[in-house]
Amino acid sequence: MNKPNTYIGIDKDIQGGMTSIGKIIRDAWVFGILPETQTCEGWNLAGIDSVLQKVNAEWDKYGCLVSHLPPELVERHQRIHGAAIEKARVEGWCGEHELEDDK
Amino acid sequence: MAKNYSAGVKEYRETYWMPDYTPKDTDILACFKITPQAGVPREEVAAAVAAESSTGTWTTVWTDLLTDLDYYKGRAYAIEDVPGDDTCFYAFVAYPIDLFEEGSVVNVLTSLVGNVFGFKALRALRLEDIRFPIAYVMTCNGPPQGIQVERDIMNKYGRPLLGCTIKPKLGLSAKNYGRACYEGLRGGLDFTKDDENVNSQPFMRWRHRFDFVMEAIHKAEAETGERKGHYLNVTAPTSDEMMRRAEYAKEIGAPIIMHDYLTGGLSANTQLAQWCQNNGMLLHIHRAMHAVLDRNPHHGIHFRVLTKILRLSGGDHLHSGTVVGKLEGDREATLGWIDIMRDSFIKEDRSRGIFFDQDWGSMPGVIPVASGGIHVWHMPALVNIFGDDSVLQFGGGTLGHPWGNAAGAAANRVAVEACVEARNSGRELEKEGKDILTNAAKSSPELKIAMETWKEIKFEFDTVDKLDVAHK
Repeated sequence: MNKPNTYIGIDKDIQGGMTSIGKIIRDAWVFGILPETQTCEGWNLAGIDSVLQKVNAEWDKYGCLVSHLPPELVERHQRIHGAAIEKARVEGWCGEHELEDDK
Repeated sequence: MAKNYSAGVKEYRETYWMPDYTPKDTDILACFKITPQAGVPREEVAAAVAAESSTGTWTTVWTDLLTDLDYYKGRAYAIEDVPGDDTCFYAFVAYPIDLFEEGSVVNVLTSLVGNVFGFKALRALRLEDIRFPIAYVMTCNGPPQGIQVERDIMNKYGRPLLGCTIKPKLGLSAKNYGRACYEGLRGGLDFTKDDENVNSQPFMRWRHRFDFVMEAIHKAEAETGERKGHYLNVTAPTSDEMMRRAEYAKEIGAPIIMHDYLTGGLSANTQLAQWCQNNGMLLHIHRAMHAVLDRNPHHGIHFRVLTKILRLSGGDHLHSGTVVGKLEGDREATLGWIDIMRDSFIKEDRSRGIFFDQDWGSMPGVIPVASGGIHVWHMPALVNIFGDDSVLQFGGGTLGHPWGNAAGAAANRVAVEACVEARNSGRELEKEGKDILTNAAKSSPELKIAMETWKEIKFEFDTVDKLDVAHK
């Protein structure tokens, strides 16, 4: 089976969206790079990579840490990521998935 | 006058079973676990193992006249029951030091775990332990730098070091890979690491990866004021190519490189370790393939032997198992080979599976690396078990943080510092771990989320390779 050339969309992603691309999109929402309605469905990898570079540039301003963000961004981050974690748990995600490749 | 020799088949035990032999301080001693074929006496099988791992084939090919058999032969000098398992027994064999080339673990292994492992009189054979005499230890190069020199190079003291294996994700580009390294280091890790099977594949050639990773290290160092490193895997198809990659890593300022010592080979590893020592580089060692050799309780080579071999061949870090977490590792046995890695003298201790005293003299120690299936809730136990001279390596437990790599790294850094502070103030880490972490999370949202992410994870698989006392 061929892999899809485009992204399925964060709302339909595996593990309730707790994936590498899902994290990029949520951070893009936090920093206002993408509107929160943008799921990136149908985007190709280059498009996602472009968002990643913008997200990285934003994180660089704050040393990559939530605890270094200004209050308004902390609030957005907590709201967006908190909801995502809650939704992902309902869809069956748990931390164990993240340890599966460890050795 | 020449001796007379008659043709014919002699039983091994006539020559190689010497129960009255007292091992010399200079002998290399080995303990084998032997599962014989039915009906073969123990002494005969033990003697056969001593013969076939030393001079047995020489006598067949060259006759005793050309070699001084009585000097060079291995001597099976003792037999013991295996606790809880009457299908096999331990045989102790002493080898004269001159049977082996100086400084060559390759030569030692070629004899001790060579053709003898295919010998028909055996159903299975396992090399459980080796005692290297100090006279032989002194001929080996050993770890390139050692624990204290590593702390000085990295300027890090008084706590375990933190690492993370970076998995190639998102298009597998070297640039994105370097970014993941930066985020981990920026968040608080001391080291990031190439996956052991990342060498120089078409999706990410080694030089491209090295360049982006070094950029990440420089950026993280500039922003944190701390020394950082990434284990650049120089394992290669040939030792020439391995050395070319090592030279380049040094040229661009990397403090540490990495080698897969079993798949890469012990000659290559020893060569690389000697080069690292001469060039002020640290050497991280991965043990890929070890489970092929050490997991079967009746056949192969025990990991404590592979640990000793690595310390002699050379490496500053070695993956050791975790005791806690999802991967294999009996607690007492793991504590035994952690001592073998770090201490200068290790006493025989059967409760830890150590069959011989081992004197390393002044040979530097190797830092054990706890890696595989561990997360922040394991931190109190890991600090308690491994102590400060260790690398605690959280892969999924860093990169799997729902907020990203830097957040995962920050969570682990806060947790390890909280545990060390608690330990230093006299608190019992494994008993009070929850309280210690919960308190630390009050000032670290990254740790708080990590604790919520992994709070319900437990690993309850039983260990396959237990100490023999527990097998029954």
